[in-house]
Amino acid sequence: MLSAVLAWVLALCAVTAGVLVFRFDSMARATFALLASLLCVAGEVLLLGLQYLGVVIVLMMTIEMAVMAVFMIMFMMNPAGLMPMAMLHNTRAAAALCAALFALLATGVLTADWPRATGRPPADPTFELGMSLMGPQILTMMTLGTALFATIVATVVLATRRGRYDRWGDDLRAARPDDPARGGVGR
Amino acid sequence: MELRSALLRAALARPAVLTAVLPGATRARLAVERELRARRWPRVLSPAAADLLVVVGRPGEDEPAWLEGTWQALSEPRALVRVEEAADAGAVLDAGHAALLRGGPRTGTAAGGPRPHHASPVTDPGHLDHAHADHMAAHSHDSPMLISGLPLADRADDRDGLRLDRLHVPFGPVLPDWPAGLVVRLALQGDVVQEVTGVELVPAAPEPRPAFWDEPWRRAAAGAPVTRGEAARRRCAAHLDSLGRLLAVADWPDAATRARRLRDAALADAPAAELAYPARRLARRVGRSRTLRWLTSGIGVLPRERALAAGVGGPALEADGDVWRRTVQWLAEAVRAAEACEDPRPLPPGDPYGPRGELTGEQPPSRALLDVLPSLLHGAELAAARLTLASLDPDPDELLPVAAGEVARG
Amino acid sequence: MADSAPLWAAAALPLLLAPAALAVACADGRSVAPVREVLRLLVQQPRRTRAADALATRTGTVLLPLAAVLAAAVVPLGATPVSDLGDGVVWFNAMEALAWAAVWLTGWGPNSTLSLVGGYRFLAQGLAYEIPHMLALTTAALGAGSLRVTEIADAQRGLWFAVWMPAAFALYLLSAAAMSFWGPFGQPAGRDLAGGVATELTGVGRLLLLGGRRLLLLTSAAMAVPLFLGGGHGPLLPGWAWTLVKTGAVLALLLWLRRRLPGVRMDRYTELSWVVLTPLAVLQALVVAVVVLP
Repeated sequence: MLSAVLAWVLALCAVTAGVLVFRFDSMARATFALLASLLCVAGEVLLLGLQYLGVVIVLMMTIEMAVMAVFMIMFMMNPAGLMPMAMLHNTRAAAALCAALFALLATGVLTADWPRATGRPPADPTFELGMSLMGPQILTMMTLGTALFATIVATVVLATRRGRYDRWGDDLRAARPDDPARGGVGR
Repeated sequence: MELRSALLRAALARPAVLTAVLPGATRARLAVERELRARRWPRVLSPAAADLLVVVGRPGEDEPAWLEGTWQALSEPRALVRVEEAADAGAVLDAGHAALLRGGPRTGTAAGGPRPHHASPVTDPGHLDHAHADHMAAHSHDSPMLISGLPLADRADDRDGLRLDRLHVPFGPVLPDWPAGLVVRLALQGDVVQEVTGVELVPAAPEPRPAFWDEPWRRAAAGAPVTRGEAARRRCAAHLDSLGRLLAVADWPDAATRARRLRDAALADAPAAELAYPARRLARRVGRSRTLRWLTSGIGVLPRERALAAGVGGPALEADGDVWRRTVQWLAEAVRAAEACEDPRPLPPGDPYGPRGELTGEQPPSRALLDVLPSLLHGAELAAARLTLASLDPDPDELLPVAAGEVARG
Repeated sequence: MADSAPLWAAAALPLLLAPAALAVACADGRSVAPVREVLRLLVQQPRRTRAADALATRTGTVLLPLAAVLAAAVVPLGATPVSDLGDGVVWFNAMEALAWAAVWLTGWGPNSTLSLVGGYRFLAQGLAYEIPHMLALTTAALGAGSLRVTEIADAQRGLWFAVWMPAAFALYLLSAAAMSFWGPFGQPAGRDLAGGVATELTGVGRLLLLGGRRLLLLTSAAMAVPLFLGGGHGPLLPGWAWTLVKTGAVLALLLWLRRRLPGVRMDRYTELSWVVLTPLAVLQALVVAVVVLP
């Protein structure tokens, strides 16, 4: 009973915070409204008994939103309420897309043939969930993860304008790299 | 009501002090710092944290806007006092404390009631004066948009060639560990200094006496009898004062406090033996700090040729390098001076070498230090920029016009 | 395996932590000035800056001590934490990440350049210290084969993790100072920014931020005890006393370091952290994994 009430309260909070993302006129507020919404979702996951997943959502989403705040507002030097900014772009297409997506998901939820719960929940639901989702494919997942990470690093390396010849000179023999700001290792 | 006033009394038993120092007021500043340390009154970093604003020195205008802005940034309970002479420091601080506890009408305020919604002048872009506002308008293509009376950021290329927002922010004059009355106008992108758009001093009343740190040499030049020991003592204290500021900016409060204690001991005529040993210890602790070396090398590099071309002399020229080299140079000179501070021989009247360089030139040495500043700060991160400025430590006192004929008096 | 403390302990936790944090502040300044400072901030009137985002500032200042207290909920005093979560280590890490958001919001809110730069500095600091920090946490959890904090402490009955994972312990200590943006890692609230994120804060808001930072320092120092120093295990004294003694020792070490070191800037530390400390932490985790895994 209590958990059902809690689930509804969290769901309402998540949706409200989600709506607020588009009502606020500041990037900072929108970012942190999104974070609030995601934290409510983490609460829902915790209610499902998936403790590890819930806590990891809190951890990942907080760091993600903080980093997003940096990327969105980094070098936008108007702090706080100085720069009112609409959070809505391309409203008509976005509304159509959202409505279609909502309809699709709702149809799926209502028409799917959900299995009945049988037996008792396992001692460690996170472990079981992980096993059933990707037990046999863990090697694939690990490879995929490494490949993704390598892609990120490679993209950053390719995007950097300054290469090693800019830093170390044409014969790569400079004693110190020529950087706008010296790093901590001198490399 | 009884309880309330007792609570206020307990809370303000040692009020938090913010000092606003004007050029030419080094004597008074040292007296105030000594007094505050003896009373163990905390010194705070920003107006918002302060109860008592202590203005040290004489402003050159009646109601300076920067002072009014700083005062408005203090929150109640608050008081403002002015220390003009070193001898008055204790009495003025007492008066300020009493005014705080009275909690009635404030002493020495310019404006009437409190004005909310005000950022502190050191940080608030709204405090740009007219000259600067014109400057901004001249630089940006469209006139600056205002929101709540504050100008928005404009755009410019950053050091990587990306077109990003930049904000014009005046730094000073009320900043902790900052040269007295200096205002450096910066164009900031993130915390990177894109350019320095102005370096100026707030107007201060002309001082009848020569700059405190140059006094022995100026007096000797004017024919007054000055011993070498006296000059060495002043040089030692001057370098320790600069080191105290630099170490505080480097966020090493322990070492900064040591340097400042030693400075006060040097000025209080401590014997050479009592001075040289702690000076050597300080030099060892700071000079052998690998962390400080790691953090300060490679920033604010001023090679010898550039220093010579800019007319920079003194330790900044001798150091021939970055912030770290200048720190080590100060430490070495301070130790040497501490060892020589009982030399009874007279200082030759032609000795030109003051704590910041030659005093015989047309311009005081601090002028060259300020002139070289914009090129050193270009593209530096804010923390590095502050370290660079602190490691040059121009003395605004030297830039004040000295009333003629008064030099020999001390 | 230890049980969680009774429910009233949850209410008692902040009441226990606040005086302890105040005591740490007093030890840091070697005076009782922080006590007076608390009183002074309580009588100070709040003041708002122009065009401020007051909601952001308030959220940030309240969130910081809250995150510290929530993180402390999984730290066992003796053998019993307030809540013995099965994923206590991850919970601790998540709450500490909330502090990032809190400090950044506090820096953003007042519409002041210095405080904004302070907020950004903390995010840069977070990105620099977080990877070695997470790896250090993982190493301790790996050594015990559990994410439950009490089980990690119990796994050190014989040998403290600090002894055979010294690199992870040292990295954890560095990040304890870094996450509470205190001492050598105090640049987000640094002197050169006139107080950084705290520049414009007055009264209770200032108290919450500066107090929250002390709470974080205390909590992260206390967490080092179950993670690396054998928790409440020790001869003669009861478990809670050992926890207190060991926490005190960690804090004393941090305070001593504070006196020896200048403030560390992230433009230098980030490269060190990513190029030297992260591989070091990975190596340490690898060594532990090779020893532990059968």
